[in-house]
Amino acid sequence: MSKEWEPRIVAFFCNWCTYTAADLAGVSRLKYAPNVRVIRLMCSGRVDPQFILDALARGADGVLIGGCHPGDCHYVEGNYKALRRFRMLQRMLDQMGIERERVRLEWISAAEGEKVQRVINEMTEQVRALGPLNLPGKFEEWDKEMEALAARIAKEEAKRSEAEPAAEKKEA
Amino acid sequence: MEPEKDEEAPKIGVYVCRCGGNISDVVDVERVAKTIAEMEGVAISKVHTFMCSDPGQSMIVEDIKKESLNRVVVASCSPFLHELTFRNAVQRGGLNPYLYDHVNIREQGSWAHKSDPEGATAKAIRLIAAGVEKVKHAEPLERIRLSNHQRALVLGGGAAGMKAALELARRGIPAVIIDKNAELGGHIKEWGKLFPTDEDGQTLAARLRSEVEAEKDIEVIAPAKVTKISGFVGNYDVAFERLGEGGKPGEEAKLTVGAIIVATGFEPYRPAEGEFGYRKTPRVMTMPEFIAWAGSQPNGRLTLDGREVRRVGFLHCVGSRQIEGVHKPQPDGRVNTYCSRVCCSTVLNQAVQVRKRFPSVSVLDFHQDIRSYGRGHEDYYIEASNRGVAFFRYHGDEPPEVATDAEGLVRLRMKDYLTWGEEIEASMDVLVLAVGMTPSPIGDLIDMLKLATGHDRFLQEVHPKLRPVESSVNGVFLAGTAQAPMTLEEALCSAGAAAAKAAALLGSEYVEVDPFVARVDEAKCTGCERCVEECAYSGAIVMVEKETEGGGKVKKAEVNAGLCAGCGACVAVCPTRAIDLRGWSLKEFDSMVDGLVSAAERLAAK
Repeated sequence: MSKEWEPRIVAFFCNWCTYTAADLAGVSRLKYAPNVRVIRLMCSGRVDPQFILDALARGADGVLIGGCHPGDCHYVEGNYKALRRFRMLQRMLDQMGIERERVRLEWISAAEGEKVQRVINEMTEQVRALGPLNLPGKFEEWDKEMEALAARIAKEEAKRSEAEPAAEKKEA
Repeated sequence: MEPEKDEEAPKIGVYVCRCGGNISDVVDVERVAKTIAEMEGVAISKVHTFMCSDPGQSMIVEDIKKESLNRVVVASCSPFLHELTFRNAVQRGGLNPYLYDHVNIREQGSWAHKSDPEGATAKAIRLIAAGVEKVKHAEPLERIRLSNHQRALVLGGGAAGMKAALELARRGIPAVIIDKNAELGGHIKEWGKLFPTDEDGQTLAARLRSEVEAEKDIEVIAPAKVTKISGFVGNYDVAFERLGEGGKPGEEAKLTVGAIIVATGFEPYRPAEGEFGYRKTPRVMTMPEFIAWAGSQPNGRLTLDGREVRRVGFLHCVGSRQIEGVHKPQPDGRVNTYCSRVCCSTVLNQAVQVRKRFPSVSVLDFHQDIRSYGRGHEDYYIEASNRGVAFFRYHGDEPPEVATDAEGLVRLRMKDYLTWGEEIEASMDVLVLAVGMTPSPIGDLIDMLKLATGHDRFLQEVHPKLRPVESSVNGVFLAGTAQAPMTLEEALCSAGAAAAKAAALLGSEYVEVDPFVARVDEAKCTGCERCVEECAYSGAIVMVEKETEGGGKVKKAEVNAGLCAGCGACVAVCPTRAIDLRGWSLKEFDSMVDGLVSAAERLAAK
């Protein structure tokens, strides 16, 4: 990590609205930050909280989900499902101590290229202000703690079995 | 249902397009290709000026053969432009077309980050890395073949419905028309002489009707009402009810069709009581009411309520081009902001007819604009002017005020912008409200077929330019004014287009659909039914009882490929990861995230 830190944001955009809007933003030559990298999926209803957690766990600093406006879903109600799951996920993030601003859900229709530009720029700046999330780094720390804990337990176990060899034999 | 395992080690060909500078002026494509070449599984990584050109595509075909590639990634424009182009190239090279991934580095790359070449290059590397990781897990897929019932249902037997059925039958495809009225013909039979040919609507309707009756491949079921539609492209089961006297429900029956054309038409806008004096006096009438009344009067003198009619006024844009805050909203809270397209020419046509048939009656025309845009329509404007029709122009946000005077005549006040905003007041014997079009009340049908509607409540097509008569439901097409206000010429044109699309679909004994549907890993499925609850398409996932080895019975989810729309909502709720989507699998997403976030970082660290 010699270079200056840049926020890494993974986006899940639905095929019918937000992905198309992102294309429109490009065609309209609207400039925005290159930090958001888009994964296209058919429907925002597909976005499983686990996708988001996986992205964060692998090193993303933020996750953006884009779907069609309520009432406009190509699959009738997929965006409502996305919203429901998103609310649940926000509570989970709170519990994990991850700032809510790192995960954002936006309704962006195929005609709203400017909204893509605005949301991406806003989010990049927000995440930049929050700083790196570095979950993989935290995982390493947690792993080390867990290893230390496991080693201590193993040591204590070993001590105990030395002290009570007779009891074990009885059970066998 | 287990996916076929591709045990072969990935040999991926990556192609980065310059797009003649559109990409390479911003993104350092050479550096991108070199970096990606370092990735595990990438056999070749090349740059080309135009990947979509013949030489570009041939390069893929030849490389697959020469280098025995088993996966391909192209990084170029949006997948909406050329994903299919390169899938076909991959197929020509002898690979399954779904062993391909398309990466967008133009619309969402060079064009969006023109002032940041370094950022755009870094982003391109990561997006392609994600594509490479995804394609490693791609499986060969076959388009799904479904049996096809080679006949169509046409909902609505107006001009558009009859035209669509005739076009289908003439191509040898049987069509069934269901209409709620006993006599086919819809609204045109009520309209008298029609612009721009001056043909009589009733005669035209009768002509279409006799052609329909003479056609052995058309069955007419009327009056009848559709009660239930289930199924999918090639296989729609339709339940309907024949209606008896006075619309009373009668005998129920069923039929199966491969495609459905929705030609349910429109309803004339119904002014609210008191809107421009409507229903306050019989001297204010809507256009259809006027045509019916005037049409029944002999030429010469025109009388209403025993009194000679000396002056008739026409008011444009009633129920159309409404402005929020100026016009009273419709029952659903919205205003009709759209132009109904036919009212201007209808007014001009009727104005000319009044002047021709009742020369002693003078005609006033109150408009915001006159949109006589179709071929031959302007001639009516010229003729109306020549015949002495007086024109007045109001602004949309200052609609005329209408009241009744002491003599019982209609009095209209407005600011006339042809005389630079002068207040005018005119009294007349009859005021005709040129009402626009509103969608037919087909809420139940919209629910049954899961059709999309626009903000104007008319049915919506997939793409207004590229797929103008297809609904978002596979095998359901739109014809005529169910989709938007149209003139008769336009409605018949759209009906012909819908019939052509339906005929292309129904010409074969089977239909092919995209293979991106859900599949169930039975070993993992616990039968919890969460996927069934989550699915918006009834019947797409069903629970099926299966025997276990021990002789017991368990429930397992099963996907009906014809009904599955491929949205993936079920995948998101499955607690055991038993259900997944072909072509957009969990593994593929997982590896894409890895490609975006970590794989590229690992490369950079190398």
